[in-house]
Amino acid sequence: MTFTRTYDVVDEAVAAGYFPPRHPVTITAIEELTTGVVRMAFKDPYIAEHARPAQFVNLFTDNEMMLMPRPFGVSEVNGDEVSIIFAVVGKGTENLAAKHVGDSVDVLGPLGTKPFSIKDKAHYVLVAGGLGVPPLICAAQKLHDAGESKVTAVFGYRDEKFADDIVAPYVDSLLSIDNEHGNVVTLLDQLESNGGLTAEGLDTVLLACGPLPMMKAVAAWAAKRGLACQLSMEQRMGCGYGTCVLCTIDTVDGRLKVCSDGPVFSREQLGWGE
Amino acid sequence: MTANDTNHINLYEDHEWKHPTKVAGVPWKNPVGTASGTFQYAAVRWFYDVSQLGAVCTKGVSPVPWEGNPSPRTTEGPASNLNAVGLQNPGVDHYLVDDLPKLKKIGATVIANVAGHCDEDYCEVVAKLADCDADMLEINVSCPNVTHGGMSVGTDPVALSKLMDKLRPMTDKPMIVKLTPNVTNITEPARAAVEHGADALSMINTLLGMRLNIKTGEPIIANRTGGVSGPAVLPVGIAAVYRVRTALPEVPIIGIGGIDTGEKALEYLYAGANAVEVGAAALFDPVAPLRVARELDDLLDDRPELAAKLAAGQTWR
Repeated sequence: MTFTRTYDVVDEAVAAGYFPPRHPVTITAIEELTTGVVRMAFKDPYIAEHARPAQFVNLFTDNEMMLMPRPFGVSEVNGDEVSIIFAVVGKGTENLAAKHVGDSVDVLGPLGTKPFSIKDKAHYVLVAGGLGVPPLICAAQKLHDAGESKVTAVFGYRDEKFADDIVAPYVDSLLSIDNEHGNVVTLLDQLESNGGLTAEGLDTVLLACGPLPMMKAVAAWAAKRGLACQLSMEQRMGCGYGTCVLCTIDTVDGRLKVCSDGPVFSREQLGWGE
Repeated sequence: MTANDTNHINLYEDHEWKHPTKVAGVPWKNPVGTASGTFQYAAVRWFYDVSQLGAVCTKGVSPVPWEGNPSPRTTEGPASNLNAVGLQNPGVDHYLVDDLPKLKKIGATVIANVAGHCDEDYCEVVAKLADCDADMLEINVSCPNVTHGGMSVGTDPVALSKLMDKLRPMTDKPMIVKLTPNVTNITEPARAAVEHGADALSMINTLLGMRLNIKTGEPIIANRTGGVSGPAVLPVGIAAVYRVRTALPEVPIIGIGGIDTGEKALEYLYAGANAVEVGAAALFDPVAPLRVARELDDLLDDRPELAAKLAAGQTWR
């Protein structure tokens, strides 16, 4: 296998006007946030500069038996350092979770053609379920940096609230819940009844990422109130950049690719909650 | 950063190809192309200049848009990928006004891959492509992920012969037939294709495969089965090329299956291929086809006898 090469390929590609190919980066941090959930950070100036909320990076194992890319949403960017959060769910993520600081890992990215649209000043309600948190943390960070919008995070977890500490510095308010006490719709209802859903002079926009049932419920909740809702979708994926057509989802516009037609779709595009 | 790479090739600098080949009389700048199912120009063009490749074989096109199979469409096998796209594509009319003119404009050598659910489908597509700017046509009678057409034709030499009898009179364009490995003896459909007008053969399409979720006991892919590709299938592809070359000494052959390095491409050329195509490796790295082409170009420097044969449209064996 001769995929791995030096970071120089990024500079060569960019100088020639092309998107960087797969290349190795150095891991700068790796920690278990809760059982089976890992935050990894690596140094990559290109991805750090270009990653938008809901974009993802493909990571590759160092085992030649497991060649398929593992796509993970970017959670935070600090200087040249890019963070991701992933659950250990199989052999591939086990392989990646076993890496150490200073190790090399191959990446491709940032991928995803349509990130969350957060250009307009608004009240953004960031709704995440479980491992759907990374794109919302990234959105929170970008919105915080821009400093114009009001940001409320609504995070639902199976049990331990592993991302609260990470997102808290970037948001105006944070509501979180575990499965024992309810779900993100419980929190959205609370937010509405407390008057926290609206902010004077600002439109409310929901951004969501999480398991499919949650996404459908959030879209329906938003539709009932006539609120804009952008949903970052997930699908079993191949290449991640649009060539293999393996990651399709059904939309009102037909079968579209999560990677290069998304990953963000509106509730209207998905035909949810009409 | 890391420096475990001793043969660094800058893929973006101007490169004068040293070792061209010919497939059915069509000149290729080098013996490396893309394999049909893994090439979508709109996606790949951001990563490198695809006109640098020996040829670009585009995704299969059908008479009308096809939506393909439901998701999930993919999973992993050991050193391999399973896919069941089901030939989703926007149709031949879209191809003729979009991908094809864009690829010809940048100077790519283009192979248009033709898909169908029945003989009439194939005929309709070939009729529309008969006078187009594509350099070659590739007839996909080997897709394992459609219920009609595809592999059901390629595994039946009689059905394949009948189809070729219909298609051959429709165009003078060099016609490649893409063969499936899911047969007992691949030389039989190979011979049928050639005797009924194929100018060249490409092999192999994917192997039929399945993975199950051991928590549910159910298949992971919605289509249940998928096509296996990637490094794991390399020996299958090489054996297919070798057997067909032995049985049919004259027919041009494009070798496909598991190629992700110049060395593996070279192996196919020694097995008797005129050229190769890189497929699944592009899922693991977008620039894989160009890198394989550059690696092979250097490897052929040390093999003047093979390089001379390829340049003359001949093969090693």
